[in-house]
Amino acid sequence: MNLEDLIPTDEICTRYKVERNFVHALTESGLLHTVTVQKITYVHCDEISEFEKLRRLHYELDINLEGLEAIQNLLSQVKKLQNQNVALKNKLNLYE
Amino acid sequence: MDFIDYYKLLNLDKGASESDIKKAYRKLARKYHPDLNPNNKEAQHKFQQINEAHEVLSDPEKRKKYDQYGKDWQHADAYEEAKKQQQSSGNYAGGGFNQNAGFGGNQGDYSYSGNFDEDTFSDFFGDMFGSRARSQGAGRGGHFKGQDFNAELQLRLSDVYTSHKQTITVNGKNIRLTIPAGVENGQTIKIKGHGGPGVQGGPKGDLYITFNILNDTSFKREKENLYQNVELDLYTALLGGEITTKTFDGSVKLNVKPETQPGNKVRLKGKGFPKYKKKGEFGDLIITYNIKMPTKLSNREKELIKELQKLRS
Repeated sequence: MNLEDLIPTDEICTRYKVERNFVHALTESGLLHTVTVQKITYVHCDEISEFEKLRRLHYELDINLEGLEAIQNLLSQVKKLQNQNVALKNKLNLYE
Repeated sequence: MDFIDYYKLLNLDKGASESDIKKAYRKLARKYHPDLNPNNKEAQHKFQQINEAHEVLSDPEKRKKYDQYGKDWQHADAYEEAKKQQQSSGNYAGGGFNQNAGFGGNQGDYSYSGNFDEDTFSDFFGDMFGSRARSQGAGRGGHFKGQDFNAELQLRLSDVYTSHKQTITVNGKNIRLTIPAGVENGQTIKIKGHGGPGVQGGPKGDLYITFNILNDTSFKREKENLYQNVELDLYTALLGGEITTKTFDGSVKLNVKPETQPGNKVRLKGKGFPKYKKKGEFGDLIITYNIKMPTKLSNREKELIKELQKLRS
């Protein structure tokens, strides 16, 4: 894994003005994936948009961690269903 | 854009308290927040309106102007100024303030951001908050990664049979893309680092492109397989024979088996559509036979068919 693509969690906390506990709780619940290199914990830059989303839901809508987990599960189902919907629409074209 | 009744939008009456406004906003925000409604433009639009309503009603000064001037509230300062001037010069006749005057309100603390289209804000809100309201992550926190952009690209099915390069313009910037052969209708690809600029040295956002593929061919497509109906005349269907049929990139000769039935299918391996990101691999072409019955039969033909009928019964 390229170190350039990794952002230290401390930096994330500073820049996004979030508590360390929040990032830690997200990691513990599997909502955010981190990697540890030489005792420094990082988040991959591809995960930042996901982190931003969770941060918005938590800080702007007051959704707690349990709520975030439930939302993540439901959103992944929504995404799956949306993909299925597109695939079915494409299949339906065969019969039009 | 039409005037929006902010009270109605938040299901409030005019006497609503600050906490009522906050409560109503939170309730609706949880329903229409774009993070909770992926790919739902209607919800996104509604959320922008709710945000706008909250922005105005939660600020006592803006709310006062809104209550007093209604749809023209954004011109309140200009109106007041004009009124004062006219009154002081003694010729104020009421009404008629300068519609083009700028509004000098303070910038509010915008509480959410996302990928908003400029034209979905009502005019005064767009003027008032300008680009700040549309930049990602505006709000209480610091910012890092740039805004992700979403774009839709319309292509013809014949265009995506081969990989090709295309230049698209996103936010005034030309981006040259390689569109891999075999992309599907509705598929979204991520172009890393082609979104908005990062903040404080952060990485750029990403560009998400969703393909809208229009079928400009007689083939039907499902993933990497193509489907085509081929008409056979009755005699070829009964006795068999050789026909030439179109494929996506040319034509092939086919041996038709004797006694082919309507709806019989043949699969031509590797004559379908390219598999996405699998160079040199193709799906299949599935041909369905339709049998075309002869019309305008001569007397002689009718006699012969009757003879055939007798033979079969």
